[in-house]
Amino acid sequence: MTGSRLSRLGAPDIDESSVSGAPDAPARAHRRPDAPGPGTGPVRRRRWTEDKVMPFVLVAPAVLIVVLLRLVPLVMGANFSLTGDGDANGAFIGLDNYRELFGDEVFRTALKNVGLLLLALPVAVAVPGLLATFLFMKVPGHRLYRSVYFFPVVLSPVIIGAIFNVVLSFDGPANQLIGALGLGPVDWLGDSSVAMFTVIGVHIWATFGMALVIFMAGFATVDQSLLDAARSDGANLRQTVWHVIIPELSQTIQFVFVTTMIGMLTGMFGLLYIMTAGGPGGATYLPELYIWVQQGQMNRPALASAASMVLFALMIIVGFAQLRLIRRATKES
Amino acid sequence: MPTRGPARWVIAIPMALLAVATLYPLLFTLNVSQKTRREYVLDRFGLADGLHLDNVVDAWQTSDLGTYTLNSTIVTVGSVAALLLFGSMAGFAFSQLQFRGSKTLFLLILSALLIPFQVIMVPFFRVLGEMGLLDTHPGLILAYTAQFLPFTVFLMTSYYSRIPREIVEAARVDGASTLGIYRRLMLPLGRPALLSVGILNGLFCWNDVLISLLTMQSQGNRTLMVGVTALRGQYSDNIPLFASGVVIAALPVLVVYLFFQKQITEGVTAGSTKG
Amino acid sequence: MPAASPDGPRTRRLSPRLTAAIGVSLFVSLTACSAASDDGTSGGAGGGSTDKLVVWDWKSGDPTAKAYIDAARADFAAKHPDVEVEFVAQPFDNYYTLLGTAIEAESGPDVVLFNGGAQLRDRVDALAPLDDLLGDNQERLTGWEAFQADGATYAVPITLQGMPFYYNKAVYEEAGLDPETPPATYAELEAACTAIVETGKDCFSLGNKEGIGIEFHLSAYGPGVMSTEQYDAWLAGERDWASPEVKQIFQMWVDQSEAGWFNDGANSTAKFMDEYTKFQGGESGNVIGLISDVAHWKSFDEFLGDDLGVFKPPVVTDQGSSVLPVEGGIGYAVTEWTADPELAYDLVDSLSSTEALTAFYAEAGAIASDTSIDTSDSGIDTVGDIVSWLPESKPLLHSALSADTLELMHRLSQQLLEGSTTVDDALQQLAAADK
Repeated sequence: MTGSRLSRLGAPDIDESSVSGAPDAPARAHRRPDAPGPGTGPVRRRRWTEDKVMPFVLVAPAVLIVVLLRLVPLVMGANFSLTGDGDANGAFIGLDNYRELFGDEVFRTALKNVGLLLLALPVAVAVPGLLATFLFMKVPGHRLYRSVYFFPVVLSPVIIGAIFNVVLSFDGPANQLIGALGLGPVDWLGDSSVAMFTVIGVHIWATFGMALVIFMAGFATVDQSLLDAARSDGANLRQTVWHVIIPELSQTIQFVFVTTMIGMLTGMFGLLYIMTAGGPGGATYLPELYIWVQQGQMNRPALASAASMVLFALMIIVGFAQLRLIRRATKES
Repeated sequence: MPTRGPARWVIAIPMALLAVATLYPLLFTLNVSQKTRREYVLDRFGLADGLHLDNVVDAWQTSDLGTYTLNSTIVTVGSVAALLLFGSMAGFAFSQLQFRGSKTLFLLILSALLIPFQVIMVPFFRVLGEMGLLDTHPGLILAYTAQFLPFTVFLMTSYYSRIPREIVEAARVDGASTLGIYRRLMLPLGRPALLSVGILNGLFCWNDVLISLLTMQSQGNRTLMVGVTALRGQYSDNIPLFASGVVIAALPVLVVYLFFQKQITEGVTAGSTKG
Repeated sequence: MPAASPDGPRTRRLSPRLTAAIGVSLFVSLTACSAASDDGTSGGAGGGSTDKLVVWDWKSGDPTAKAYIDAARADFAAKHPDVEVEFVAQPFDNYYTLLGTAIEAESGPDVVLFNGGAQLRDRVDALAPLDDLLGDNQERLTGWEAFQADGATYAVPITLQGMPFYYNKAVYEEAGLDPETPPATYAELEAACTAIVETGKDCFSLGNKEGIGIEFHLSAYGPGVMSTEQYDAWLAGERDWASPEVKQIFQMWVDQSEAGWFNDGANSTAKFMDEYTKFQGGESGNVIGLISDVAHWKSFDEFLGDDLGVFKPPVVTDQGSSVLPVEGGIGYAVTEWTADPELAYDLVDSLSSTEALTAFYAEAGAIASDTSIDTSDSGIDTVGDIVSWLPESKPLLHSALSADTLELMHRLSQQLLEGSTTVDDALQQLAAADK
């Protein structure tokens, strides 16, 4: 719905050295961020000249907007999460909200489902990766597929959710189809052991087109001579993918992993809200939905803020852990 | 890459099925939008027995979708303009210029990528309210700019970093100012990336429901996607009407995509080419 | 790559335009500063003005409510010709979240539509008590209990909401049942369901995707199970979740499901409107519906016509009685931050005038809180039955529960249908939550 969309944007290829004076900045964020980078050089005492002032002028709007509308609210929220709701409105109550949060079975389910999302992540990356490989091989009809696969990306999650609600209803077309194949009907959205997978599946359906385009862009950078060499060595498809394409695309794969993760952790709200609203039996809650429900129906804004802080912490931990893991994995292969 | 043999055809079959699965829900919605309410209640999944453009007309009229479309257009154009301007300015500075704190500021902006909107929802609206921008077009434009800016900056930085420093240095030797380099060099060179990032940001602003719903509280300021969602109402059982709204809202987006799909994909591709 | 090519756009000698650039870059901060220092009213939706009133609801966008809103507007304009009124129809899905944001910011609408019960009671801090302003409306209108908290009244009811059983006479006939004698006891209902299920149709359509199905179940079967004393104690806040009667109500939910009364996939079927779409489409014999808003006599009549019948809750136990559960449905409240509460109340008064409510009844099919409205000319038999049951009605059981108890009950009801929890365990959790 909102944050989700970020994941769909594509940056072809993370080249960390791209940031001047910030070599591998994202990866080493735990270092003191103000440590001088190699590009900065010795500080010369000069007057305020045009070329010294202009860089700050150029980044000022972006920095101001992000600070004012992202970081300030974040700090306000952290503060708010330590206060009470209802009768205790505004009063400082320390970590009570956090205690209540981890005592709440629904929130624990939401966290468990985050774990499930992380497990689904490789699938969400592999599917577009594989499809991009096939498109790159120019299977018959590849031009058409390339256009069609991107289609769902342009639709609002609210609309996608509403459509799949009908398609996946118990007596809907999806069950009619598998019924025709002799398979029993599945209660896609009403069976608590299936519903979360259904929503994840729809999310992948809705977003794989973006990752596909990013992969296609990555393929354009693969060194053709390596492929030719692999072919003349008699390498089969699997070997080519494993030994040539994956190492060549390591940057792209990293990028898709990170953006897909951000998309999954922040962008499933729209679908969840429309398709299951957290049900059945609370089985499909995610932190975002929990925040929304506590804020709205439950009228517990401070508790919602505490849940927000937990989600933010989770994002940071998962984000950096993943970056490290993937870097190691792609380098090894 | 190997392109030989019958294996290609074996792979093509599941890919064709996937293409059908991608299109089916859209066709399904189109079909539902052409049913009458009665037809839908009596037979939800069958084919519509003819065209019923009344639904489309009704959806347009009952909820003032004309005004909403105008609002969506204003806000989308405004947000995309702001995003491209600020994004390319910052991207240029981070990738080509050397200044103290550039690493810190870049990280600061990137860190916002990890903040889901729900996390800051409540305080965000307090800040917007303090600024007196709730329920105004500039307010929503600012909200979208804040939402999509971190990624735009990231993309533009990564795109511009592929331009060799020598070009900028040569321009400086010629006596160009920083701003001059930005305007005469960076903006034209960044066109492919600006185009694709602009179109994608446009799609996201157009499709957003949550931020718009919370920011634009009065009826006359609604955006199209919110208006369509509201067609479902509390208890609306007029699914064909809703489906018609969905078709109306998705149509411009699909048209934009069909027209610009080359730019969307090529812009991204251009950015990835190693210099 | 084009960027790398040396023959890209020429770099000519450029004059520095520092001032212009600084202007652009400071655009944001300037906007921010100037806007922040502007303490004036914000935007069109902001409340607190004395020459404009803003109303939030989820009704005014509905074509069937147009005549009602127009009548109320006219009535108010006669009293205050200079005051502008803006109706903002919010999507119901997000209504209380939006309202929560407005309450947090202490700005927003002057007049707010509420559902009776928990949603109102949880937010009375943000509302103005209306008791001193009500005057003779107190006599003319009914359904106040749902809008009162701690002895004060916070909203004026405009409709009554209740949960009768609707049935499809054609389905009864097909099952070999007498279409003119609907079940009066639970035993009769069980017999009817057995017969209907044998014909291959569902006895009841049920949508429990949001978990609201259990609310309807509790409130619709409650009168037939509980004694009058128990019922009143429940409403007064003395709820014994361990009592055999409460257990029986929840056991009936599970038993009905196991006996195949419901459609498949109840947990993925939306109550509004998939459940009612099924009933209207003739897929089931019965449904627990409403008397106002939707899923009511008027909307069912459109599809079923003369086949539509209605009955009161069946008597389940010896102490139970067949009484229609009814209370205030929706009502208008005045926010605590509005500039002139009396002015805002005048608008509420117009919104609940007999004339406006008559239009609401006729067009939208709502049973209005104004009992003086004549309903005999509707041409729909069921409405006559419902209106005749109103004098003896009782408030709904589920409305007495808090929002988080209801939320828990929603989840447990889905788990009960799935068989992943037991009635005893569910009731224990509910007892712990309902404090």
